[in-house]
Amino acid sequence: MNILIPHNWLLEYLETEASPAEIQKYLSLSGPAVERIYQVGGESVYDIEITTNRVDSMNIYGIARETAVILSQAGIKTVLKPLNIIDKNSLQLTKELPMPKVFNNPTLNKRTIFIILKNVNRAPTPKWMARRLAQTNMNIHDSAIDITNYVTHEIGHPIHAFDYDKLMSIGGEIHITEAKKGEKLTTLDGEYLETVGGEVVFKNIDNQIIDLPSIKGTKNTSIDQSTQNILLLAESIRADKVRFASMTHAIRTTAAGLMEKGVDPHLAQPTLLRAVELYQDICKAQIGSQVYDDFSDDSIPKPVNINLQKIDDYLGLEINVKKIIKFLNSLECKVEIKGGGRTTQLIVQPPTFRPDLAIPADIIEEIARIYGYHNLPSLLMDTPIPTTYPQDINFNFENKIKNFLSNIGWQEVYTYSMLSDEIAQQSGYKLDQHLKLQNPLTDDRVYLRRSLLPSLEEIIASNPHKKSLSIFELANVYQPLDEGKLPQEQMLLGLVSTADYRIVRGSLESLLDRLFVPSYDIVPSKQPQQQFNQSAEITAKDQSGKTRVIGAIGVLTSGRIGAEIALADLLKIIRTHPTYRPIPKTMPIIEDLTFSLPKGIAVGEVINSIKQMDQLITKVELKNIYQQNYSFAIQYHHLKKNLTAADVEPLRKNIVRQIEKQHQAKLVGEV
Amino acid sequence: MVQNTKSLPALKKTITDLKQQFDIEPKTDVENLQNKYLGKRGFINDLMKSLKDVPREMRPVAGQLLNELKENLDHQIKLLGKGLSEKTPNKIDLTLPGLKPNAGHTHPVSQAIEEITHIFEKIGFTRVRYPEVDWDYYVFESLNMPLDHPARDEWETFFIEVPEAEKMGKMVLTTHTSNGQVREMERLNSKPPIRMINIARCYRRQQDATHTQMFHQFEGLVVDKGINIQHLKGTLDHFAQQFYGPGTKSRIRPFHFQFTEPSFEVDFSCHICHGTGKKGRSKCKFCKSGWHEVGGAGMVHPNVLKAGGIDPDEYTGFAFGWGVERTYTLKEGLNIDDIRLIYSGDLKFLEQF
Repeated sequence: MNILIPHNWLLEYLETEASPAEIQKYLSLSGPAVERIYQVGGESVYDIEITTNRVDSMNIYGIARETAVILSQAGIKTVLKPLNIIDKNSLQLTKELPMPKVFNNPTLNKRTIFIILKNVNRAPTPKWMARRLAQTNMNIHDSAIDITNYVTHEIGHPIHAFDYDKLMSIGGEIHITEAKKGEKLTTLDGEYLETVGGEVVFKNIDNQIIDLPSIKGTKNTSIDQSTQNILLLAESIRADKVRFASMTHAIRTTAAGLMEKGVDPHLAQPTLLRAVELYQDICKAQIGSQVYDDFSDDSIPKPVNINLQKIDDYLGLEINVKKIIKFLNSLECKVEIKGGGRTTQLIVQPPTFRPDLAIPADIIEEIARIYGYHNLPSLLMDTPIPTTYPQDINFNFENKIKNFLSNIGWQEVYTYSMLSDEIAQQSGYKLDQHLKLQNPLTDDRVYLRRSLLPSLEEIIASNPHKKSLSIFELANVYQPLDEGKLPQEQMLLGLVSTADYRIVRGSLESLLDRLFVPSYDIVPSKQPQQQFNQSAEITAKDQSGKTRVIGAIGVLTSGRIGAEIALADLLKIIRTHPTYRPIPKTMPIIEDLTFSLPKGIAVGEVINSIKQMDQLITKVELKNIYQQNYSFAIQYHHLKKNLTAADVEPLRKNIVRQIEKQHQAKLVGEV
Repeated sequence: MVQNTKSLPALKKTITDLKQQFDIEPKTDVENLQNKYLGKRGFINDLMKSLKDVPREMRPVAGQLLNELKENLDHQIKLLGKGLSEKTPNKIDLTLPGLKPNAGHTHPVSQAIEEITHIFEKIGFTRVRYPEVDWDYYVFESLNMPLDHPARDEWETFFIEVPEAEKMGKMVLTTHTSNGQVREMERLNSKPPIRMINIARCYRRQQDATHTQMFHQFEGLVVDKGINIQHLKGTLDHFAQQFYGPGTKSRIRPFHFQFTEPSFEVDFSCHICHGTGKKGRSKCKFCKSGWHEVGGAGMVHPNVLKAGGIDPDEYTGFAFGWGVERTYTLKEGLNIDDIRLIYSGDLKFLEQF
């Protein structure tokens, strides 16, 4: 949470030689971050980010206390001035006006403190106060209202001004209780609400809600223009209850923002008394009652035991014990020492406003930050390097795939894991075969995908300026499993291209070659797989010689060529290096043969037939296609001796005979 | 010219001789050379005709040798011809534009991740990857954030529409890579040393110029005996200098996270103004105050170590986690002002990387 702290207001409690820039610098290094300094009306205003565990710093005095400690350690002379609140005993308390009766539930509320002020003059807010409120982005009303906001910002405990007469006229009782479902209330600014049940509310004797404590007042008891007598009240509702009601009804007031973080109930009295002082000064108010104070739970944080050695362990160096005690004392922690040397035990009693100091590491944080993180050396670890690596993941190999594909012309993309219902179904999986977000942010990101290809298709479609485009992605898909199990996250390599089949297939094959996959095949499926019009399985032999399907390639419904490969399966068949085959000393003979093949023929099968005819046929490549004429370059090779034309002739004749017979082909030219 | 082609060795000798002869020929009359060697009645043709005298089984090899010789001589004579006709050394236009091969690009996030991985691997970190869809237990509860803890609000969590599991709680999209902390302790059977770098997709329910619903984080976790804040600083400095260049500094400032204590915010010095916030007399335009805030860090909270089965009295550790995109976009001169571009799939953007 960010709060605004005007420099001049801060100086009410701080005697320092530091400039605003120095305050920003040192506070940011050792305390809350001063994100900006605004100039408002010629004065500096700090915009400070305070973490949720430090509600004690969300006010002027809290920041003054932090600043004093931090600047002193930084060598800039700084003194924290006392709050200087009027003594409760010096107030002229009376029993003139009857006090409302309070019925508390101590499990919901730790403290209720109030006082009645009469004859409150509705004076305009004085200029000095208005300026400070404006500097902190607060609205200006009149002094009777603004004083409550002013003291809350100064000391940190929200207080509320009730219209005393209204409160008394509807029963004069305050029942602190949990609302049931469906109870009605109207807030002081006229908003109508119905409770959901469980909000802590104030009720009157007739079970009517008369306040939403620590969040917002209700219309039936809050001050208006005619108000003359005020009941000034501070309560301490359980933080989680405040948070629940504030979040449920989306009423995010300053009071709620503070109280939901656990404001120290001890601050209620000084805040109230400071307000009384201001009402007396500005509004010429008179005290009309005693101070009612029911402090049912004034427990203090538990002391924390910490060994000096532990502090050394975290900081990596020894800090003098006197210095440590000085730091802690300046943060208002009491310190008791047991033992000596580095085994000394410190028993640290945090102040009531620091319930966040609960374990030794919390105390270490205080010592370390005041000492200054920037004063600690910077070192690399000299401890052993772990060598137990995760199984089934090979990041190097993923990088190799990415780099190889991009080098041969493919563009890598990253697409969202969540899809719209329409795109999700393009995978061929039904919607109920997907995991669904309970609270999607946008309609296009609802289902966790089962395939990468629909996302890649979307990218190609969204880049119409690219006439030819080949893209790929390595990402997870998510297969729902039985109830109580996380989905199976499967890393896939997806490819989609506008190029023709032979180019996509060739890219894929050269990738497999690069990964030293010893043997692979592409086998057309009888039935096309999901999302393909026509598809083939990509198969390969694993280490044990078993043929496994690692993915699919084919024509997508868009007509583009797509392929998808499961990385885990690919991982099982890749190698880090090839098996070297001695370079042959003999020369191969390469001849071209052209066949006229019937329409609808599977050329792959013709090539396989030729390859299988003789061991001496070592390579068959499709060289050219012209209409129905297919030219093959056929390589004959004997590793021990050079083949002659006479050796090759019978082989060639056999090829022609067999292919003509098996595939209804016709040789173009003569044997 | 001796033309003994009765055997392969003899043929090879003939070829060598012919080459030597060509080498010593005067190179002035190219036409003559052409006729003499490659013409109808030239040496090569003569040799070709004599192939019929070679034993049948040697003919293919012999033929190939002669072909090579013919191509070789043809090439040399053509070069001579060119040189003479132009009368000047062969020149090409060096201002001609190059023809680039059609290369693709890895995605900038992949490039960043690869670089980050190498930087941490150099100092002994093991890269891991953990589920993107995980249980509340790993994402929040084991990280010292019990159910309904207000700190959870900061994470803008996406929930999966499945029944809650009894012990593990709700199924969520990981809001940070910190789910890897307890998972890594479990993977190593609660036995340090741990030096993990976990890089993964993360998801948060927010979208604007600096946030996308999906993004990447990298998470460091180091646990062992004697690990202290100085080691965190050392690791951050190492990263800063390797990723942003020599001279880049890191600093840690107090902050609050539930799963670390003490907790820090991590800044890197601006490489434009070197941490001064000033460029000449004016303010540095690239940073706010000389420093860039990149992410969070801290000493692992004892409750997190306990959740991972590690004794916090014996071991200490630190952790840090930042967005890959944020860290990457701070690189000098990169100038990406809208993070949504990274996942737009716009080739006009991607092709620049």
